[in-house]
Amino acid sequence: MKQIIKTISHPKIFVYTVIWLMVLTVLGTIAQRDIGLYASQQKYFSSYITFLGDTIPAPGGRFTMIIILVNLMSMLFKHNIWKLRKAGIIIVHLGAVLLFIGSGVTAIFSSEGNMVIYEGAQSNYVDDYHKMELAVVNTSKKNLDEYTVFDQPLLKKSNKLSHENLDFVIEIIEYYNNCKVQRRTKSSDIQYKGMMKNFDLIKLKPEKESAQNRSGIIYKIENSDSNYDGIYGLILGQSVIQTATINKQNFEFLFRKKRTYLPFSIELLDFKKVLHPGTGIAKSYSSEINLIEDGLPRRVLIQMNEPLRYRGYTFFQSSFIEAPEGEATVLAAVKNYGRLFPYISSIIMAVGLLVHLVINLPRLLRKQMTGNK
Amino acid sequence: MKFCIRFLIGFHLIIPILNGGEFDERHFPIQDGGRIKPLDTFARTQLLALYGKRSVKHDGLSAIDWIIDLALYPEKGQEVTKVFNIRSPEVVASLGLEWTNNDHKYVFNEVFSGLQKQFELISEIQSKPDETLISFERQLLEIYFNATRFRAIAYSLSCLVPVISVNDPVLAEKLNSSPGKIVSYAHLIKYLPSISEIYRNTMEKPEKEWSRTEKELINILLELQEISSNETSQVLKLIPPSHLDKTGTWLSPWELMDGRSHEPHQDKILIALERYFAGRYEGNENKMISAIEDYRLGILSIPTSKPEINLLKKETWVNEADLFYTSVTFYILAFIILGLSWMIQPKWMKIISYGSLILGLIFHTYGIYLRMVIMSRPPVSTLYETIIFVGFVVVVFAVVIQYLRRDGLGLFIGSVSGTILHYVSFGYAADGDTLGMLVAVLNSNFWLATHVTTITLGYGASLVAGFIGHIYLIEAIRKPHDVSNLKDIHKNLFGITLIALFFALFGTILGGIWADQSWGRFWGWDPKENGALLIVLWQLMMVHMRLTGLAKPAGFALGMIMNNIVVMIAWFGVNLLNVGLHSYGFTNGVALNLVLFAVLELITGFGTYYWSQTRKESLIVEK
Repeated sequence: MKQIIKTISHPKIFVYTVIWLMVLTVLGTIAQRDIGLYASQQKYFSSYITFLGDTIPAPGGRFTMIIILVNLMSMLFKHNIWKLRKAGIIIVHLGAVLLFIGSGVTAIFSSEGNMVIYEGAQSNYVDDYHKMELAVVNTSKKNLDEYTVFDQPLLKKSNKLSHENLDFVIEIIEYYNNCKVQRRTKSSDIQYKGMMKNFDLIKLKPEKESAQNRSGIIYKIENSDSNYDGIYGLILGQSVIQTATINKQNFEFLFRKKRTYLPFSIELLDFKKVLHPGTGIAKSYSSEINLIEDGLPRRVLIQMNEPLRYRGYTFFQSSFIEAPEGEATVLAAVKNYGRLFPYISSIIMAVGLLVHLVINLPRLLRKQMTGNK
Repeated sequence: MKFCIRFLIGFHLIIPILNGGEFDERHFPIQDGGRIKPLDTFARTQLLALYGKRSVKHDGLSAIDWIIDLALYPEKGQEVTKVFNIRSPEVVASLGLEWTNNDHKYVFNEVFSGLQKQFELISEIQSKPDETLISFERQLLEIYFNATRFRAIAYSLSCLVPVISVNDPVLAEKLNSSPGKIVSYAHLIKYLPSISEIYRNTMEKPEKEWSRTEKELINILLELQEISSNETSQVLKLIPPSHLDKTGTWLSPWELMDGRSHEPHQDKILIALERYFAGRYEGNENKMISAIEDYRLGILSIPTSKPEINLLKKETWVNEADLFYTSVTFYILAFIILGLSWMIQPKWMKIISYGSLILGLIFHTYGIYLRMVIMSRPPVSTLYETIIFVGFVVVVFAVVIQYLRRDGLGLFIGSVSGTILHYVSFGYAADGDTLGMLVAVLNSNFWLATHVTTITLGYGASLVAGFIGHIYLIEAIRKPHDVSNLKDIHKNLFGITLIALFFALFGTILGGIWADQSWGRFWGWDPKENGALLIVLWQLMMVHMRLTGLAKPAGFALGMIMNNIVVMIAWFGVNLLNVGLHSYGFTNGVALNLVLFAVLELITGFGTYYWSQTRKESLIVEK
């Protein structure tokens, strides 16, 4: 046991992994120029295995950091480390462990997205930045619309989707991260329906800014026992709703950013943009909102560097839209269970390093007067 | 000689002149780049853009005199004063100008007529996307913008300059003037209603029957008409807004000539400015002095968000004093005396050198402090300020090291790196006003302030560590047998590395906390964050390599020298990546300097490392 700990806690492991982490950092930074931040982050940092030059498998950022964490934690089990002289070092390493755990919690459990609200309007859901969903809405129910939502992981090529709510099967024919609509020049004998009769979705290279991607989906309705069987297409931000009537039930098909509903809603009262006088440089942005829960409104001002924190969510002033139909605010909404970790661990590490410096610095900086001069 | 003068000025300035003397035309507040600054700063920045320097050197003209003379005598300013400094032979040729060998300075009129011939080319260049422009196009466009702005400045105050003479006694009386006196557009416009009756009568008669008075009236009106063609020149925003205004946008005098009603504070400033010009035109010192006093009272009467006269004075004083030039002078002096002390070795020379370094540091600190006071913001917010601040940090460390070791190591580090960093910052200051406004997310944030300050401390400490790394290797070559000396330096190096790691690590984490506070994510792997992370990882690696014996003292020294390259890349290189395709002129220079720096460090680092290793081996063989 002692031997195992000694091996896996050896600082040489840290040296080599940290060198690899630096390599990844450099590669992941340079790659941002070509593939953008999100894609590069996915490829180099959030991955367990990354492929160098798209072919050679190598440890990804997450894997590397797990090794560092294991190495770090086992170091704390070493016997010769628990000495007063090394108190600072122990504290620093404890703080580092906490930092890694926090980043793990954040990486796995946090979610982020944004809300676009026009002045005078309200909203109670958050759009995910990257993930999409396919919602099938039954509008024929008496008191409510029945939503059946298929999440991003299910929207894969040749996946068949079914649910007890639906009397038919949806097969995904194609899923595009980024695509455009193009008019069909030749008529074809394939059973295209809806928009697809006259248009086709053409796959595009993903944009550097992942927010600029327009995802699209081509799917097939089967076994509906109606003439709505056929191939359909949907693209993000499509203005005409795709409908179908199957078994006397009316359905709407919506392809959109994945929505997370909030237990409250936000109404935008006023969006303000202030410029440095006489220039185009923004001095501040702010949104005056009503936070409405159980019908009770509460007035809140969200501005740059002053977010609203409520029920585990944090809302930040992120951007704005100036359109003919009015001004809209874009709020970034984040739910992060790990957000306190960096605060705590940085305090611990600061204390640790300070302790270490106080114990050791006088010895390190002073010139030894006893030396042979 | 110049050096001695600076030195003397330096001592003179030790008595801090906090108020910068009497209020004068240099302190006139003007709104530019989103803030209120003294006219002096504005003039210097403009001159820097046109001429490349902060005063017209070959005419011995200060920036403030240049701008006021330009406004007072626009024709002369366009014809005589050579302020267009064109450094590119291609641009000079395309403007049809002579490429003179020594100065390449041209007057506005030559440049303007050249530009007019190239108008089609210019409008085509303007329609192209920015990143596709080649260097010639960029420079031509810059000259074009400079010329446009120059003209706008020249005529911005033309409504206040006395140019129209009223000779007829009747008219003069009605226009609140005296016969033969020369008055300004603004003055005439104000009293114009009182002669409307004469004007009506004149218009009813045929031209032949006009009396002398009437003829002169018509001439005056024609002159007014001509001057009013300048009304679009609205660059000099000298007039505070109305008390009802909510945006805080200041106005140029021409904007007030459109018939709107003036508020008392606006009128006071306008009239004072007009009187100042009249006094300057007539060469009447007393009139100028009383006009300046009126101007000051005008500023004091501004009802809302009044500019602080003390701050305007302070900034002007900072412009004049050039504290960072003084501090660098002391650093250079410290270095020279240190060099002498190596040759002749009396102890007191080191003490003088130390004193000089500390004096330099005092000016350096005072300069940073004044910038903080003027802008009321933390010491580091722009790239320029990081350089100044890193220099400050390095010298502080050097002073402490010198205090602890007393052998000149600290003096050497402080004087050399202090000087180099100063010169780097001067390069960045040539970009324009270094006291620029910040975008929203950088504004007034506690975490940002602590983050940037801490990380900059980290940069500074890292550079000190790299410097000591060099010294270690040099000492290992010079005196490989002096083990205790090497051991000492190694311990110092390790101590500074720990300090550097402390600040780099917390600077980085604080940056994450700022990001979390501002837009909800602690870490996003963006280039700037990664740059900071690389420094931390590199130093963590070095500390653990030392721990495991992977790096012996010489290897550790080499590693910390390489850390300098990492610091420079994180500090400057990342900005290049962000700019991405905008690789031109200035940034190109930065990229080149970075590569040169990296190559230099690699050669000297590895060179001294291997040399020291062979020295060590030969020492072992000898034994």
